[in-house]
Amino acid sequence: MRYRSQSIAYWYFAVAMCLFGLQLVFGLLTASKYLGPDPLLNFLPFDKTKAIHTNLLIVWVLTGFMGATYYVVPEESRSEIYSVKLGYIQLIAWTLMGVTAVVGYMFGWTAGNKMLEQPFPLKIVVVIVMLMFLYNILMTIKRAGRWTVTEGVLVAGLAFAAILYLPALIEYENYTVSIFYRWWTIHLWVEGVWEMIQGGLLAYLLIRLSGADREVMEKWLYVIVGLVFMAGILGTAHHYYWVGVPHYWLPIGGFFSALEPVALLGMAMYAYFAMRRAGFSHPNSLAVHWTIGSTVFTVFGAGLLGFAHTWPSVNKWTHGTLITAMHGHGAFYGAYAMTVLAMISYTLPHLTSDRKVEGSSIGYWAFWMQVMGMFGMTLSFGTAGIGQVYLERILGLGYLDTQLKLQVHFLMLIATASVFATGAALFIWNFFRTAPRSVAAIDSSTSAPDLAPAGHANSAVSG
Amino acid sequence: MTKRQGRLFFIICTLISATVFIGLTFDSHRRFPGLTNEDKLTPEIIRGKDVWHNNNCINCHTLLGEGGYYAPDLTKITQQRGTPYLTAFLKDPSQFYSEEKHRRLMPNPKLSDAEISEVIAFLDWVGHIDNQGWPPRPIIVSGTTIPGTDVGQPPTHASVSTDPVAQGEALFRSSPPACNACHSIASGANLAGPTLAGLATRAAAIIASPEYKGEAKTPTDYIRESITHPSAYLVPGAMYSANSQSFMPDNFAADLEPQQIDSLVAYLETLK
Repeated sequence: MRYRSQSIAYWYFAVAMCLFGLQLVFGLLTASKYLGPDPLLNFLPFDKTKAIHTNLLIVWVLTGFMGATYYVVPEESRSEIYSVKLGYIQLIAWTLMGVTAVVGYMFGWTAGNKMLEQPFPLKIVVVIVMLMFLYNILMTIKRAGRWTVTEGVLVAGLAFAAILYLPALIEYENYTVSIFYRWWTIHLWVEGVWEMIQGGLLAYLLIRLSGADREVMEKWLYVIVGLVFMAGILGTAHHYYWVGVPHYWLPIGGFFSALEPVALLGMAMYAYFAMRRAGFSHPNSLAVHWTIGSTVFTVFGAGLLGFAHTWPSVNKWTHGTLITAMHGHGAFYGAYAMTVLAMISYTLPHLTSDRKVEGSSIGYWAFWMQVMGMFGMTLSFGTAGIGQVYLERILGLGYLDTQLKLQVHFLMLIATASVFATGAALFIWNFFRTAPRSVAAIDSSTSAPDLAPAGHANSAVSG
Repeated sequence: MTKRQGRLFFIICTLISATVFIGLTFDSHRRFPGLTNEDKLTPEIIRGKDVWHNNNCINCHTLLGEGGYYAPDLTKITQQRGTPYLTAFLKDPSQFYSEEKHRRLMPNPKLSDAEISEVIAFLDWVGHIDNQGWPPRPIIVSGTTIPGTDVGQPPTHASVSTDPVAQGEALFRSSPPACNACHSIASGANLAGPTLAGLATRAAAIIASPEYKGEAKTPTDYIRESITHPSAYLVPGAMYSANSQSFMPDNFAADLEPQQIDSLVAYLETLK
């Protein structure tokens, strides 16, 4: 870590870790309701715990993205953050917004629009916080007078994310129109600009971890983001199946969604070839695990599991079943949760004291338990979803009776989710295990491993 | 390829996709009023949409297939269950389903009478949106249509046969709303409506019983009366009726041709 103000990132990551833990508590609670009966039916029924579970995900991942940006931008622009104070005020406002939303949902304060449940005043806070953040970052870059493609892609992704939140502020009288614009926010986030953020962070990590040539990496970053947008923007159409929009969205959705895995595969190949060409020269092999793991899991969860039910003639039967939950879990975890965890794993030896660069065995346990647990969870949702499609949609068994026949899959879900949650708990514990570096310690550390020239990282660790 | 070419590729891809997407968005707006019957979007329906949102319904149910996957899809619910049924259900879901049996239950949303009728109006409006004919076959809330039906065969009008019983059976699976959305023909399988297994035999017993106040004299008349005037005789049970009114939709006398009702009666008479 070369710049003092990069330490803001630690506090963003710390908040993200707390919210991640809370997300899993609500996730397990929600999953247990599949087994029923539910003793909390009248206080905390499924709809509330599920809304809290998904909202916490969005908030902690965005917190992680912002923290990562505060770490990346000073290094790329070679400057301290414009205003450290603003960075902390922003974090406090953001956290208060998140906590208020969660407590509000418990007491029925909700906009009741899937993923955009935040009540209107909180949506305004989100916009204000995003503006504060973008102002701080852009002023840093402006003052430094230097920017790289890597940070440009990252910051542009965050700026677009803020812009695409705006349609969510408008109320629509026509439910179909409301659905139409809800996906402008949610889909164009997760299959558009968030992938841009992921691409930017991935390029940063690969340049640092493999010592790959920046020119080459940034050239391909453009190509990958181009592919993502080409498939992702028109791929929005796969959310426009069966909701009351013109018919032509069906073939468009089928075709462009089929291209999306190609873009994601491109991202995985990008990571693989960077590592193969330049070698695993960096000592932080735990961060390498998370980085490569993220791209592989993205191909699986977002690419393959999405493609499995995105063709209109298939989706006609799977639409609105647990098949969607299968894809949702795999995609969000692989593409976004793992990207943030990769950034945290990479930065942690710099942000905290008394920590080995190569990571500890707890770190590896955390990685493998999460990956295996999430793989099992997607299989549980997937098998439950296939059973649901055949029994309910094709044979015509009633919804409630079908769900009763899926109990064994829900048991499997809870078992694998417990493995996942244990892995996540280890990660969180590992994060908080050592104290953050003090400013004095940062000043005295003249050479950090990530600043070493490619291929010489090992020799710099001891410095 | 150079970095410059890479950037050009990114810009061109993004511009083309975004332009096409925005163009189609404009065209969709042109088509929304027709596809969604926007002319029928009354203030009551819009208030119903607010009830739907305020109660976070979407985080359990799905509507147009979008939502929480934890409770039944409600896209066509008003075509499967009449307003009296839905009203009574929303007043107290626990009267209709058992958490012990189904392992999940809808918490009482504690809606006012006005809110209930508004949200039903909203759901009815959603049910008539032109959404490319989804779902491809009805999604049923509870029970089963498997015993005694042609498994996997979609609802269809009997074009293959002129036999009234065959036509009646096809109507049973298709007449709006389909009878088999609420009635099974398997013994003991009560869905939203009572099973129709052995209907013809039971009809004779019902007519003879002192509780029967209708006008039918024969089992055939009784079946016809049950279709055209569902409240003439009420099968006991809080899940079937309230305030002397059956939850069964009463649109059949108006919406079916007399000859179609004849076919339906002919079919139901065979259930002995």
